[in-house]
Amino acid sequence: MTNADAGRARRRKFARMGAPAIGLLALLTTVIPLRAAEPGATDADKVRFFEKDVKPLLESSCFKCHGGEKKIKGGLNLTQRERLLRGGDTGPAVDLKDPAKSLLLKAISYKDEDLQMPPKEQLAPAKVALLTKWVEMGAPYSPSAASGTVTSAAPSPAAHIPPKVTPEAMKFWSFQPIHRPQVPEVKEASWVKNPIDAFILSRLEASGLPHASSASRTALLRRAYYDLTGLAPTPDEVDAFLADPSPDAYEKVVDRLLASPQYGEKWGRHWLDVVRYAETNSFERDGAKPNAWRYRDYVIDSLNKDKPYDQFVREQIAGDELDHVTPESIIATGFYRLGPWDDEPSDKAQARFDDLDDIVTTVGQGFLGLTMNCARCHDHKIDPIPQKDYYSLVAIFNNIAPYQTSGPNILTDIIPDDKKKAYEEEKQALAQRKEDLKKRIANFELPVIANLSEAERADLDHPKKRAALLEPKILAATNADELRRYKELRQQLKQLEERKPTDYPQALSVKEISPKPVETFVLRRGNASSPGEPVTPAFPEVLNPPKVVLAPPEPGQKTTGLRRQLADWLTSPKNPLTARVIANRLWQHHFGRGIVRSPNDFGFGGDKPTHPELLDWLASELMANGWHLKAIHRLIMTSNAYRMSSAPIESALAKDPQNDLFWRFDMRRLTAEEIRDSILEVTGKLNLKMGGPSIYPTIPQVILAGQSMPGAGWGKSSPEEMCRRSVYIHVKRSLVVPMIAAFDAADTDFSCPARFTTTQSTQALMMLNSDMINDEAKSFARRIRKDAGNNPEAQVRLALRLALCRDPAEDEIARGVTFMKTLKDKHHASDDLALDQFALLVLNLNEFVYLD
Amino acid sequence: MSNTPNNTFCHRTRREFLWQAGAGFASLGLIDLLSRDGFLASQAVAADGVTPFKPSAGNPLFPRQPHFAPKAKSVIFLFMYGGPSHVDTFDHKPELYKLDGKTIQVKTKGRGGSKNEGRVVGPKWNFKPYGQCGKMVSDLFPHIASCVDDIAFIHSMTADSPIHGSAMLQMNSGKILSGSPCMGSWVNYGLGSLNQNLPGFVVMLDPTGGPISGAKNWSSGYMPAVYQGTILRSAGDPILDLEPQPGVNRAMQRELLDTLGAYNQQHQLARIDNSNLAARIASYELAYRMQSSAPEAVDVDSEPEEVKELYGLNEKRTNNFGRRCLLARRLVERGVRFVQLYSGGNHNDANWDAHGDLVKNHSYHAGNTDKPIAGLLKDLKRTGLLESTLVVWGGEFGRQPTAEYKEGTGRDHNAYGFTMWMAGGGIKGGVSVGETDELGSAAVKDRFAVKHLHATVLYQLGLDPDRLSYFHSGLQQRLVGVEGADPIRQIVA
Repeated sequence: MTNADAGRARRRKFARMGAPAIGLLALLTTVIPLRAAEPGATDADKVRFFEKDVKPLLESSCFKCHGGEKKIKGGLNLTQRERLLRGGDTGPAVDLKDPAKSLLLKAISYKDEDLQMPPKEQLAPAKVALLTKWVEMGAPYSPSAASGTVTSAAPSPAAHIPPKVTPEAMKFWSFQPIHRPQVPEVKEASWVKNPIDAFILSRLEASGLPHASSASRTALLRRAYYDLTGLAPTPDEVDAFLADPSPDAYEKVVDRLLASPQYGEKWGRHWLDVVRYAETNSFERDGAKPNAWRYRDYVIDSLNKDKPYDQFVREQIAGDELDHVTPESIIATGFYRLGPWDDEPSDKAQARFDDLDDIVTTVGQGFLGLTMNCARCHDHKIDPIPQKDYYSLVAIFNNIAPYQTSGPNILTDIIPDDKKKAYEEEKQALAQRKEDLKKRIANFELPVIANLSEAERADLDHPKKRAALLEPKILAATNADELRRYKELRQQLKQLEERKPTDYPQALSVKEISPKPVETFVLRRGNASSPGEPVTPAFPEVLNPPKVVLAPPEPGQKTTGLRRQLADWLTSPKNPLTARVIANRLWQHHFGRGIVRSPNDFGFGGDKPTHPELLDWLASELMANGWHLKAIHRLIMTSNAYRMSSAPIESALAKDPQNDLFWRFDMRRLTAEEIRDSILEVTGKLNLKMGGPSIYPTIPQVILAGQSMPGAGWGKSSPEEMCRRSVYIHVKRSLVVPMIAAFDAADTDFSCPARFTTTQSTQALMMLNSDMINDEAKSFARRIRKDAGNNPEAQVRLALRLALCRDPAEDEIARGVTFMKTLKDKHHASDDLALDQFALLVLNLNEFVYLD
Repeated sequence: MSNTPNNTFCHRTRREFLWQAGAGFASLGLIDLLSRDGFLASQAVAADGVTPFKPSAGNPLFPRQPHFAPKAKSVIFLFMYGGPSHVDTFDHKPELYKLDGKTIQVKTKGRGGSKNEGRVVGPKWNFKPYGQCGKMVSDLFPHIASCVDDIAFIHSMTADSPIHGSAMLQMNSGKILSGSPCMGSWVNYGLGSLNQNLPGFVVMLDPTGGPISGAKNWSSGYMPAVYQGTILRSAGDPILDLEPQPGVNRAMQRELLDTLGAYNQQHQLARIDNSNLAARIASYELAYRMQSSAPEAVDVDSEPEEVKELYGLNEKRTNNFGRRCLLARRLVERGVRFVQLYSGGNHNDANWDAHGDLVKNHSYHAGNTDKPIAGLLKDLKRTGLLESTLVVWGGEFGRQPTAEYKEGTGRDHNAYGFTMWMAGGGIKGGVSVGETDELGSAAVKDRFAVKHLHATVLYQLGLDPDRLSYFHSGLQQRLVGVEGADPIRQIVA
């Protein structure tokens, strides 16, 4: 069931007693004999009462959803007594020991807003009384009903039992420990640059498929630049590469690009997709998340530093609980704060679990490639993940302080290492002064409080009422001078409480409410007001994980340490998923698709890897290399597999049209960010300034008009700032820069495993007619005119060279020249306008936005 | 039937493709059309690169077969943002007048929290019977009242949240949480667009601004952006970026497109197997055609005087909403699937959110919309379009029978019970289903949730609400939720 739907059920005043638990249907075919000891089974009067009065009522009011004819809602089938007693997803429908407490009676009483049956309208009082009487009698059924003749309960074709955690299930490929596979032997050994090629080639040879020839040097260079930096090479860089005769000319480029700061910006964006990065909360106010951009910078910086991936994970999951907590690791925990958040939920208890679900979903899919979210309301229908496992994971996060718009729940002072000691001392001194003041204040208050009446005491909790209550009494007990002193002390305390030790910058970060784990329960049907069995913190059982240790908190401990244990397990070499999932993401963004095509789903419902050995080899290589991602990038990019041409081979296309076996390199369209950045790059306006608060490119009025307060929450940046890379654009959930949205940027409300690539005419309209693109085309034209002069041929040559990273052919130049001439001759365009239009045309070329 | 519309295109993963392999697309007999548009392309592919699809799966907006014969082809959703008071409009509560000013026990939940008692604000308008069905309608809507024999009223609507943000999201996307596709996205995903030269999901905003949460109300959520709503303006350039820049005329743009096409075709020669390139070439031709078809579609001024009069275009007060209603008719006439019009925008009294002075607020908004809406219904009926156009009226919730503050007539939000209505598109006329209690405080008879309303819309369009699904985050997601929902059968003709 979907996370969002899950808890919703309870909010409906239509709340069902459960969802269709398809699995249960199958179980129901086993008829459990009535126990003779139970009342009603043999009593003829009671049976008659059932037959005459109760059964018609059940048939008319209940069986449509709970009679098994079409579908069974909430897993509750009322056609037989044992089914009634077993109940549905929310538990037994009738409590024989205490009939008044029966769920069924609660539901028909309509007293609980979350559980009202029948949902369409309340039963007439006489009918309620009748059913109540029946339940009090012990809910007798007739023998015919007991034998299942009321309605057929044969399992529907859709009947499906959720997979259980069994030794068999644990054998699933992605749950296996990662072993380093043997590198296969191949016939064409000369093609093998590194083991990647052997894995690819052995499959091709076995299938009788050819591999593509090498891509041209220009195509390869452009591919490498975009894949590692999200930007095209400049003409000079192209020339230098083509002129470099050394055998490792390409490897040198790869190393240089990996070392360039643009690498972190490009690959950081991939990670931001996975962690649903946005800088606002969505919903009515869509308020800004303070300092969210520091997390974005953290990601970019971590990748540029080639921070080991295990450390990267540990910092995000438990940066505040590590042995060595740093400002960086605190910023990393902003990970928990990036999701959507309703500041005005209709149901606060449920909203708390929605927020936790956002975390469980993102951790599950992002780090583990498991759709844990599907087990929020019931056992996972596809994977062996019981509902209990979901809540055991919730238990790990349940101490996280709720999100707030600001304040200490979500913000932490970032103190550099060398200032920490002084900061702590300052903080302690401050705390000491506060304590002292409080004591002195108490000396005034306590004697007075001792004489208060019960009614008066109630006012002590209200700051204003408290003052109004105590001050006259203190005055009466002492004198005006003393009262003045008392007031002064309180004023001092107030000032101290508002004071921060030193004004350090703050990080959006995780905090916990206490070091003692909050009690967590399985929530029936995901319903926050329907707790079931208690759970203790644990990792998904099917992965055969270590046990979570529950130790009493040490003095001074601020958090439970549970996230630290999660981080340790996630990054343990024994964890079968973490390394596979990230290795797959690396492959995905180089080859256009993962070895597992469902990068967020490595479960039963996900895709099987097309090259399982290769994936395992990459994963083990990653770990063997100290989790350094750049080493894997380098391996991938220097393989012959990566260097293949994207040109079709007819025979291979016929046999393997989807390129399952990687017989060639797949073409790809640039991402939204790459398109925008490339436009800025060719116009010469791209500003490579890194980091800091986000920027606000101009958004057209018609888009702003869609906001309830047009323009709200969208700042203004200087023209230079607006030309910075797209990864620095403010990510506002309800307001996305049109160009970024149109070219399929990630949806930010969920973890995004892979971008869409759609082609639509609105993109074409934007690329032809928008103010933005025409401004850029003019800038592009200015640059061309400046660098190529007034000769149309030189202008066309330069424009195409800048945009396509190659020397254009003569017919391509002639075509552009003719176009400008036609505009001038036939349409009386000025020289400038003709060149502007040609510049615009170049920005629209397929070759400009597609990579070979 | 095996032609369930499912996300076989735009699939991000093979799994999403395989998930519905059993369903697949029926041959639609539309391949000719596709070829004409040069759209023989699997144009919406991400992670997986080049999965060859049946041609019909290529264009995400291409018309697709519904599950069964549809009653309606298009939907016009008249969204009364802010939440109109049902007891002052269509839900006649004679007892409530008598209780005016009295403090009574009644359970309410709104912006001001949960309460168990309140001061009754008697309905501020009189009701009269109208039409053959004798439907009681308040004096706020004399024009709509004249159409009651074509309208089915649902008086027992309930929503999951009495707070604007989440309730708006639910009315539009079925979920009170952010991130799911809106009804217009689902409809276009399920059926495709009947007119490739116009957007399939159009939103027209109030001049005071958008609703709260802005674009989330027409977002395609986890579906591709091609399904999100397009804002259409009733004056000036109707669609963003429709017109070439000043100084560039259509003939010049034609030259540009021809030259661009020549470059692109040359580029394509060595990459002929990549249908995405062909699709992108075709998309420029579509864009070019849109530039002439969209202005034609929105040319309200070309309508005869009596039609303009019918929609209230000649009166200052009703001109704006009337214009948008008339535009809505012109759009559905041209095959646009889903048109959403907002009455009210911005905050507070700029929409139906009558917390302060109920009379002032509702007189204003009803007065702006009554004649245009009636005009729309009459015009649709006159032209025969009403048969295939489903009109939906309502807000994200209703309002309480009691006052919000110590003084005044303002009512707080009420999600426990409210009224919406539908007309056309195979909906019965002159009927009312469901009831609220005698105060109008909560639905008590034949209660319906938002998902039932959504199910009804899908059902009238020939889509099975339980089968229209989209694979996302490990699950088959549905507009009506994973439990499914039945349409409101009492109002289906």
